[in-house]
Amino acid sequence: MSGRGRLVAAAGILVLGFLLAVGLLEARVQEAAQASVKPAAAAPGPEKPAAVRPARERMAAYVILGWVWFSIGVLLWILRLRVREADRVHRMGWVRAGEAGPKRSEH
Amino acid sequence: MKALRAWTEDRLGIRPVAAFLAKKEVPCHKHTVLYYTGSSILFFLGIQIVTGVLLALYYQPTLAEANASVVRIMTEMPLGWLIRSVHSWSATFMIALVFVHLMGIAFTKAYRKPREATWLTGVLLLGSSLAFGFTGYLLPWDELSLAATKVGTNLPKALPVIGTWLTRVMRAGDDVTGDTLTRFFIVHVSVLPLALLAILGVHVFLVQRHGMSVPLEAERDKIKLPWLPFWPNFLLREAGVWLVLLGVLLTVAVFLAPGIGPQADLMAPAPEGIKPEWYFLFMFQTLKLFPARILGLNGEMIAVMIMMAGMAAVLLLPFIDNRPLERKGKVITGLAWAGLAYAVGLSIWSLL
Amino acid sequence: MKLPASLFSRRAFLNGLIGGWLAALGSAFISPLLKYIVPPTPEPDQVTVPLADYKDMAPHTVKGFVWGNKPGLLQKTEAGEYVAFVGVCTHLDCNVSFVAEQRRFYCACHEGWYDENGLNVAGPPPSPLRRLSVSVEGDALIVKRPE
Repeated sequence: MSGRGRLVAAAGILVLGFLLAVGLLEARVQEAAQASVKPAAAAPGPEKPAAVRPARERMAAYVILGWVWFSIGVLLWILRLRVREADRVHRMGWVRAGEAGPKRSEH
Repeated sequence: MKALRAWTEDRLGIRPVAAFLAKKEVPCHKHTVLYYTGSSILFFLGIQIVTGVLLALYYQPTLAEANASVVRIMTEMPLGWLIRSVHSWSATFMIALVFVHLMGIAFTKAYRKPREATWLTGVLLLGSSLAFGFTGYLLPWDELSLAATKVGTNLPKALPVIGTWLTRVMRAGDDVTGDTLTRFFIVHVSVLPLALLAILGVHVFLVQRHGMSVPLEAERDKIKLPWLPFWPNFLLREAGVWLVLLGVLLTVAVFLAPGIGPQADLMAPAPEGIKPEWYFLFMFQTLKLFPARILGLNGEMIAVMIMMAGMAAVLLLPFIDNRPLERKGKVITGLAWAGLAYAVGLSIWSLL
Repeated sequence: MKLPASLFSRRAFLNGLIGGWLAALGSAFISPLLKYIVPPTPEPDQVTVPLADYKDMAPHTVKGFVWGNKPGLLQKTEAGEYVAFVGVCTHLDCNVSFVAEQRRFYCACHEGWYDENGLNVAGPPPSPLRRLSVSVEGDALIVKRPE
């Protein structure tokens, strides 16, 4: 990956890490909120855990996730071929129009 | 197929639009990566609309049923918890990208002439996105969302003259009640979507009209940068970005699905550790820092007015930064970096 | 067999591949989505009502009970036995009522009539009212779907 790509990826991971930290803290606060309410009021109703995921559906969710990531991998591979084709056509069109343009456009 | 296209063209006559888009160029330079932020925001907006409609199929926006209906979605409806989780996380991703998009435009000063109107509509879109987040946060009607909404709708009271009235408009009265919930719901699913789509239409039109902005130096030195055709070269790259974003979103949604707290009790004391969504944290912390009284005036009012001045500065940035290449422009860039550092720093501080 | 020229361009081939795999990716979401949009609302297999509420019914009278999301109609026969119907008209799903003087069930939507035994006798209803089986067990009435 180029230097620029690495920078973008690092920034993205940093932002994501921040958001995940907030999300986890939020889950902890929700559990704490339920705990602090319990002694204050007489059990206001059935408590829900921080994450509600019916057991059977958890498996379905993992399967869907796996399939999505696999498809993304395949699609990115095909897209890369298609982008190379499009870039090649673009460069050819350039060269035909005139020799003034730079040889490569990479980003 | 060709006959169908001819039939449509005869009636809609949009070939000039298609021809225009076919010629659209995307310049390549060291900041080209920022061009991906706009369409990524649109991608997440699309996800929000789809998951939002799905949630609205079973959500009941009344005081008695709101919390229970969300619990029902999460426990009884097939993959309802995942749809809610995607909706919640996609909101976060979208607003994060709106901030990145705004920062990118601000630091490259892409708001300079002739793109001031694009910036104005953009800031309005930021406001709409934050309003979406604020109104949506109340809808599960659990203790945290009630407390956060009470605090959030209390803020306008600090404004002189119109403050109390504004709070009453937001809350449908003096207090947060079931009427507030109904009001927030209709704003979230009808008023804001209509407003957002209208402003977005203008924003996207202006972007196409003016084309992609190039870095200051290239414009000043009149360099013709290498370019890619938008269709299909750049769009295919965007599709790749969307796919990765989809994967990350789904992964986070599956493993960090939000829960739901107990139903809000209007009479109960506020729970521990309430805080707003992350995009309001820096404002939240700022308010906590301000002393109750400054020089005899209400501290909160001063804080809110300073925040409003900041928002006005952001809105009118293209007109303030009218000499981007000179020293004034560099000073403003420095201030923008300082503003970013402030917002990030205070957000992190509020979590500690 | 060697072809003189390609059947389609590299571009068309790759476009097709992308479109096809996107469709495959999307298909994973269709089934859960459909189940979410149209949740199954099964009727209950059986419903238990307290006998006390229905003990003092006169013969040829009808009293209601809850059958899932639909109204149920419990009738006492001449012999003192219980008979149960699903009180939904077989024409277009309106709820029916019992006209005691005529000993007939009536659907107001299109003036359909059923006799005491649920048989459709007048108006548009195409078939009799659905019957449910009733049994008395201790102090409860068990209404079940007939096998």
